[in-house]
Amino acid sequence: MKTIIRAFVAVLVLSGAVATTQTSSASTQNKVDVARTSMLPIPSCPPDDPNACGMADGR
Amino acid sequence: MGNSLRVLISHLEYVEPILCGMLIFFLVRSKAARQFSYLVALLCVRLGCSLICLPLLYFCARGIERHMAYQAYFYVYWTSYALEAILSLLVIYSIFKLAMAPLKGLQTLGMLIFRWVAAISVAVAIGVAVTPHLTGIHFMIAMITQLQQTSSILTLCLLLFVCFAIRPMGLSYNSRIFGVSLGLGILATVSLVDAAWLTHSPNMYSTISLVNGLAVGITLLMWSAYFAFPEPKRRIIVLPTTSPFLRWNQISMALGDDPGFVAVGGIPPELFAPAELEVMRRASAKMTPALETPVGMHSLSA
Repeated sequence: MKTIIRAFVAVLVLSGAVATTQTSSASTQNKVDVARTSMLPIPSCPPDDPNACGMADGR
Repeated sequence: MGNSLRVLISHLEYVEPILCGMLIFFLVRSKAARQFSYLVALLCVRLGCSLICLPLLYFCARGIERHMAYQAYFYVYWTSYALEAILSLLVIYSIFKLAMAPLKGLQTLGMLIFRWVAAISVAVAIGVAVTPHLTGIHFMIAMITQLQQTSSILTLCLLLFVCFAIRPMGLSYNSRIFGVSLGLGILATVSLVDAAWLTHSPNMYSTISLVNGLAVGITLLMWSAYFAFPEPKRRIIVLPTTSPFLRWNQISMALGDDPGFVAVGGIPPELFAPAELEVMRRASAKMTPALETPVGMHSLSA
């Protein structure tokens, strides 16, 4: 049990570390590339997006 | 993305406020709300955000103009996100404080280091966002992004620490402190993966939304289980005398002590109270014969 939990924690940390290297800096791009972990869909387009980020498409 | 997945995600949205409400109820019922007050605040922000955003999502295709709905949704979502980024730091801080409670010296030292790291993180987040072409909302997003990433990395560090130093702190895997740390770690990892994913797929309804929903659902259910059942008592911490934890704890406790001060000169007599002056006069009167005695002996021997 102890080994499984420790292995799971190690996997979480490694995944986080790998994901951090893949994230481009938000300051170099003019778009949202950050995510709040939530069940709500992420508004990842700028607020003035002409397509409203496909908000009505999912309904 | 398939239509069935879209429908699944749109149904999943309604589960989050229910789970949040249930968890707050369990926290209050188990009388742990005061101990985990920042976690309660975090959950309240999530619940509030869901209660505002869900009607916007529902009505965007049924009356409200979609651009207006999206703008409102965008600002509510990211405002709550900013609040959550700050509260996450405070939750990590409080969890660390609770975990280290038996080792007071290390707790004080660790909290001091944590405060410095948090302050530097905030400064770096602001520094990264301050570039000439970033203003207004983009500045805020860049700053919050950086803060959130720092918060996620700090969370994972905390989880590693709690997981591997669980025995010297008298905790077990059934402890709420470990449960909350594990849940925060899952959310932090998913958040970092999300950030990498969204660089390639900027759409509100993508597969990552489903992954997000599942991660949040599992975390909230896990926390509910931890707070619904009674927590096992903390074990008595027995450390060998050669334990580095014990040694560092003793050193850290000594580090915080206030030094005493001694006045060595330049003290005007007005600083003393009359009673103090009287005590000193009597003491010096008693000391004078004792000081004179060797002189007398010297004269006798001569």
